[in-house]
Amino acid sequence: MITSDNYVALSAILFGIGGVGFLVRRNVLVTLMSIEVMLNAVNLALVAFNRARPDNLTGQMFAFFLIAAEAAEVAVGLAIVLSLFRIKRTVRTDDADLLKN
Amino acid sequence: MGAQILSLFPAANFSLIAVILALPLLGAFVNGVWGKRLGNDAVRVMALSAVGGSFLASVVTFIALASHVDAHIEGDHHEHVKLAWTAWQWMHTKAGFTGGNIPIDVRFSVDALSGVMMLVVTGIGFLIHLYSTAYMAEDPGFARFFAYMNLFIFAMLTLILADNLPVLFVGWEGVGLCSYLLIGFWYEKMPNAAAGKKAFIANRVGDFGLICGMFLLASYTGALDWTGIANGIGSLKDTTQDAYLIHVWPVGGGQYQGIFSFLQPHNPLTITAATAVGLALLLGCTGKSAQIPLYVWLPDAMAGPTPVSALIHAATMVTAGVYLICRLSFVFTLSPFVMMLIASVGAATALFAATIALVQNDIKKVLAYSTISQLGFMFLGVGVGAFTAGFFHVFTHAFFKACLFLCAGSVIHAMHARVHDDERAQDMRYMGALRKHMPITYWSFFASTLAIAGCPLTSGFFSKDEILYRSWVDHSVNPFADVLTRQKLEMFVPPQWLGPALYVVGVLAATLTAFYMFRALFMTFWGDEFRGWTIGRPSLVAAHASDDHDHHHDDLSVPGAAPKESPWQMTVPLIILATCAVVAGLIFNAGPINIPALHSMDHWLEPVFEPVARTVRLSEGAEGLTWPLAGGGILAFIIGTGVAYWMYIMEAGRPAEALADAAPGLYRLLLDKWRIDELYDATIIAAVDALADTSAAFDQTIVDGIVAKVPALLVSLFGSILRAFQTGVVHVYAAFMVIGLAFFGWFFVFPHPAATVTAVGKDTGDYIVTAAPGMGYQYRWDADGNGQFDSERTSDQMSVKVHLDEGKTQNVRVEATSAFGFSNSAAIPITRAASVKPMQLGLN
Amino acid sequence: MVWVGQVYFYVCAAVAILGAVATIVSRNPIRGAMGLLLMIVSIAGLFLALNAQFLAAIQLIVYAGAIVVLFLFVIMLLGPSSMAPRDKRGLVGRAIGGTVFGIAVADALWLTRHVVGMPMRELDASFGSIDAFGHTLFSDGIVPFELSSALLMVAVVGAVAVARGKQGEEAHTPPSGQPGLAGVATSGTSPASGFADVRATRLEGHGHSK
Repeated sequence: MITSDNYVALSAILFGIGGVGFLVRRNVLVTLMSIEVMLNAVNLALVAFNRARPDNLTGQMFAFFLIAAEAAEVAVGLAIVLSLFRIKRTVRTDDADLLKN
Repeated sequence: MGAQILSLFPAANFSLIAVILALPLLGAFVNGVWGKRLGNDAVRVMALSAVGGSFLASVVTFIALASHVDAHIEGDHHEHVKLAWTAWQWMHTKAGFTGGNIPIDVRFSVDALSGVMMLVVTGIGFLIHLYSTAYMAEDPGFARFFAYMNLFIFAMLTLILADNLPVLFVGWEGVGLCSYLLIGFWYEKMPNAAAGKKAFIANRVGDFGLICGMFLLASYTGALDWTGIANGIGSLKDTTQDAYLIHVWPVGGGQYQGIFSFLQPHNPLTITAATAVGLALLLGCTGKSAQIPLYVWLPDAMAGPTPVSALIHAATMVTAGVYLICRLSFVFTLSPFVMMLIASVGAATALFAATIALVQNDIKKVLAYSTISQLGFMFLGVGVGAFTAGFFHVFTHAFFKACLFLCAGSVIHAMHARVHDDERAQDMRYMGALRKHMPITYWSFFASTLAIAGCPLTSGFFSKDEILYRSWVDHSVNPFADVLTRQKLEMFVPPQWLGPALYVVGVLAATLTAFYMFRALFMTFWGDEFRGWTIGRPSLVAAHASDDHDHHHDDLSVPGAAPKESPWQMTVPLIILATCAVVAGLIFNAGPINIPALHSMDHWLEPVFEPVARTVRLSEGAEGLTWPLAGGGILAFIIGTGVAYWMYIMEAGRPAEALADAAPGLYRLLLDKWRIDELYDATIIAAVDALADTSAAFDQTIVDGIVAKVPALLVSLFGSILRAFQTGVVHVYAAFMVIGLAFFGWFFVFPHPAATVTAVGKDTGDYIVTAAPGMGYQYRWDADGNGQFDSERTSDQMSVKVHLDEGKTQNVRVEATSAFGFSNSAAIPITRAASVKPMQLGLN
Repeated sequence: MVWVGQVYFYVCAAVAILGAVATIVSRNPIRGAMGLLLMIVSIAGLFLALNAQFLAAIQLIVYAGAIVVLFLFVIMLLGPSSMAPRDKRGLVGRAIGGTVFGIAVADALWLTRHVVGMPMRELDASFGSIDAFGHTLFSDGIVPFELSSALLMVAVVGAVAVARGKQGEEAHTPPSGQPGLAGVATSGTSPASGFADVRATRLEGHGHSK
């Protein structure tokens, strides 16, 4: 039987993978992609819970809005990456230390 | 006529006083703010009309006062009446031993004493204003000068007409301020500004004394206005109060113990409160009236224009100290010690200043030291209890000293036509034979010199001789002598030889006064030829006319025009003042020669000094000593004048030079004013400087170094630690976030049980223990404290009820299990205090 | 045939995990984007299993069709410099962060291993359909709907403003000199005359464009 905890466990695993990728990788593009992974994991958990309690469609709606917000975030994030590249000619987050000290 | 005025302005609300005060203030304001724009003519009219109007109002007020006095005569006895006016309620304070409320209003009053002073100030003030319109005609600061002069008249009137000490103090400070402004009138030159500062600071030292006196009076008598102080004066001599004696050493009446015990005196030094008040007020008076030790500002004050010296430092401001002593005579006489001190200070100052004036060459300096000396006479007069005589000397001194200063100004004005160095223009060695060229000035100066030297029948004779006479015969009587002897308390009695000693010193000073005044007269006005420059014949004058136009390089070896008599604005005041100097004595005399049917000054001031009349006792045989003692004064005049005449006219100054050569050290000492200024510099001012240096060093090393630098160091230290966290790299921030999140999660995963105990009712022994909630917590309780949990399974039960007996303690334990399966327990001790049984009193 | 559901789930789960790992591990960001795509598709499949048909469709359209494409655009725009060279700086901080996080997640999973999940009961087909979803969206979710439209507008404007840079600023050419699209956005000298020798044109353009 596939119950909700299967999906939640999968969501946790994906979230963990995404989080580790975010913290470890230094390439800013990979960092953004890891954020995508994390958000997808959250979406999965939401929809799974909604399926377990199908009184209303709140979970799916939430996930829908998450997708929309996340799309906006990716757009702006990539614009920032482009600006960073224009200034520093690098995609490494280590080099984005203009606010140091 | 007085009655008509009184019907217009009732005696209790005599608002004409407002006019007297407001006109000079208005003049000062208008001249000060718009003077430059209005032009010299308008400024002159404004200033003269302000003071003139004030004088007219003063005359009207005086007439009203006289009629008011006449209305209150019973037989020969005058009642002390005054015309009062309250401007507004100023403030109030709590003081006095009863802690009562002292209202302080801006209130003015005119009584016999202040009425005379008011006339003197406005009258002589008007004449000097008239004089200044010609004297300062070419000065660029014309408007500013008259603004300051009007302001001074206003402040002086405030001082005189004040009905209580705070308003008097406002006037006191005001005249000090105007004195500073006017002394330093030509402030571009550094010495003038320094002289102004010196005057202000010396006055300020005295003002400290006045303020202390005010505080003492307020706290002892519970009032600050004249009638209130007079009513409350009993508490200053109330021997039943602890505060009757003020402990000077040991300070505050304590005892020095331990390592300080060597400071403990055998007999503690105490002074009575009355003495303390008198000393404090005396300090103020010595500051304002230029006595020892605070006289040092008056000679330097000659740096101001001569009309300023005439008005402020001869006639009015310097007499404010004597006025205050007269005003508060009933306070000073409570302490015979203070009276003795006043008289001694006055006599010493009179002699001391006279010795300095003997050798001065600057005519204004001679007059300055003469002022100090005459003020000493006034202090001597009021110090022996002859308040009327002292005040009469104030009155006459105003006339002849103002006249002397104005004459000197006239001479200097004439000298300035060719001599532009200030010091040389005032130096008497470069004058001489001016009686031919400036007759009006000469005769005025001569008349005033006769008055100051005490020539019989002049006003100076009457006032000075009365003072000398009274200094011999007066003995202070302690007004509470009987009370003190009854209580066997200490009482200060001045020594018997004090009177004669003061008399001798006074006569000596009078002799020196006559000598140096006639010396000044002879050096300036007599002689065969003028020593300033050669007076050329008219033809020579025309040929060298162009030299006169070069004001800065006037060659005095070239002959020039003779010194000219001054214009009418300067000579008319001279004539008026000289006349008054001569005849005032005859009209208002207070001396033994009484012209009946004329209201003498003595009679006029009688009600003011009535309370203190019984503190003065004339010694036996006083009546018989009148003419012998007066003879001493006349002798002083004759000897002084004769020696001066012989030395300077008959021997043409040779004995003076011989004396100077014979005792060069003494001569230099006198010329250097006994080097008192240098003494003050080396001691007091050096001490203040040292204190300032110490404070500066303290401020720099300790305050700046430690208090400012150490926190700065701490902040920068913490800043560098914190800065290490700000790498600017997002990853690092994220890592920190994760670590924080981990702590947060640990807090949730491992439960932290806590509970609160609330008592049910009052002292029933029932308590309810409530556990703190947490996410997904389940609880297990051990309510009876036996160490074992009551149930095996956890549940949602969050509270449990416990009953305790008295004096018992129980440990309730709660175990919380979180959703992750971890559990943690905590013990909650509950104590019930044993109740306190009431004491058995043995009564059933 | 109950086991079909389980197999389907495990297959989709495995592919998702594989895609996620590929995303975070690959050095080449194109590979990472592909991994992301894989994960997204498998998540869409899981959505289908969870009766969220509309959401699955949206996931594919928006994520796979727009976001991943956007990633690819930017990667291509950056060119070879989108791949950062390896170096060891800051390894300690990153390692600590990643380890702590990973341990935390694993620990959380371990601690809740005996938690019983909620069973999924049978549902009719209208759950998660477009009808039902539209109903809910425009009744309960009307406010977030409008707000998210505003959010998207703001994001568009913001992205344009941030990415545009200053007027007339020229994009830097990639340091390695390889032909890339980095010079497209800018400068006046068009390499129109240099099709044959792109490198020479690039160098010449380099000299001009400063």
